[in-house]
Amino acid sequence: MRRLRISVDRAKCVASTLCVHTAPAVFALDATGKSSVVNPAGDTEEHILAAAEGCPVSAIVVEDADTGERLFP
Amino acid sequence: MPVHDDLSAPEVIADPYPYFHQLRAEDPVHWNPKWGGWILTRYDDVQWAFQDRRLSADRMTPFMRGLPPHEAEELRPSFDIFSRWMVFTDPPTHTRLRMLVNKAFTPRRVEGLRSRIQAIVDELLDALSDRRQIELIRDFAYILPVTVIAELLGVPPHDRELIKRCSDEITLFIFGAIGVEDRRQRAQHALLELVAYLRGIIEARRRAPRDDLISALLAAKERDDLLSEEEIIATCVLILFGGHETTTNLISSSVLALLRHPDQMRLLRDNPQLITTAVEEFLRYDGPSKAMVRFALEDCELRGKQIRAGQRLLLVQSAANRDPEQFPDPDRLDITRQPNPHVAFGYGIHFCLGAPLARLETQIAINTILRRLPGLRLATEHLEWHPTIVSRALTALPVAF
Repeated sequence: MRRLRISVDRAKCVASTLCVHTAPAVFALDATGKSSVVNPAGDTEEHILAAAEGCPVSAIVVEDADTGERLFP
Repeated sequence: MPVHDDLSAPEVIADPYPYFHQLRAEDPVHWNPKWGGWILTRYDDVQWAFQDRRLSADRMTPFMRGLPPHEAEELRPSFDIFSRWMVFTDPPTHTRLRMLVNKAFTPRRVEGLRSRIQAIVDELLDALSDRRQIELIRDFAYILPVTVIAELLGVPPHDRELIKRCSDEITLFIFGAIGVEDRRQRAQHALLELVAYLRGIIEARRRAPRDDLISALLAAKERDDLLSEEEIIATCVLILFGGHETTTNLISSSVLALLRHPDQMRLLRDNPQLITTAVEEFLRYDGPSKAMVRFALEDCELRGKQIRAGQRLLLVQSAANRDPEQFPDPDRLDITRQPNPHVAFGYGIHFCLGAPLARLETQIAINTILRRLPGLRLATEHLEWHPTIVSRALTALPVAF
């Protein structure tokens, strides 16, 4: 499984928690109530991409950590 | 306290912002005796209230408990539907229902509707091309969202008159129309008509699935038994209702904001690529959801005020969006404003499901109107707003071009 680089744009995040429910080992709300990445290898690529696509404000970016290829959006 | 500490005073309905400014400056966590609850007007307090799990989104249960027994019994059919709306539920029920429909409303899925939305907008404006004056809401702003949401759900567009008529009546219950006798009974009558209609569509999709949201919900029920038949019905009613009342109001208030700020209208007409930040500014400046209600499940304290379990709170989005500590020069319409972290769609787990769709529809509608109706102007100076506490909705918007 390829390594992923996942980032959450905190300025965009609206704390819907949809990513946390889709890939709970990868995303968690931090002390400020915004989503953050706790373990980029915590779930399957399919679930991580589903979390990124499910974000209502497109705050999640997923890339291949080795090649830099943009996987979402 | 303000001279008129009354959310439903005619001058507050017409222009709520001076009242909210005064509350925010003088008493940001304010007990309003007439409404019987706390009014929150600061941006950070509203954001807190949207996230704190001690505040429940379930307004239906306390409402029903507060009714005399005979009326509660009479309104039982309404309660059976509304209590299954995800907007009125807390986790874990909310999470389950939201996750099931979220896929249909992601920004990417919604972007796939762009050309269809543009085509509907063009058809509607084509039909008005020989007119010089229209009522923008009746002739345009309500038809677009109801057509889009009906298609997405899988309801025949030619039934939109029924949907619209029922939806308008349901607002009497959900948004609360001040001074309308028997409004809940009227709303229930329309609700049950809409439910009966939807049951027919659902039966048809069960026999012959299509590529629509009703079929997707039925498939989810068949596959994982994740939701009940009653939840499917309630969710369909919610999506039909939520899918257009507020978008209609956003489109009309956006047009009004531009008509009242000719410099901003010129700027947007000359630079249509500004539409993305412009629509965010329309949402912030005069968005369709003035406020949301929450109920305290436990005692909590906010700015030294003791909020008791069972008390209700009004989270005033319109006030948060004009908080000078968050937005410089908050009463100014600036279609280039960035950042613009408004809470017009709410915040936290109940963040508007349809936000990507409302954004796209409004972006396309406004830019197309500006392009095709270059002489657009107000046809009256006398505008009225629906007398409700939670929503901001023009009754009519006569324009000429």
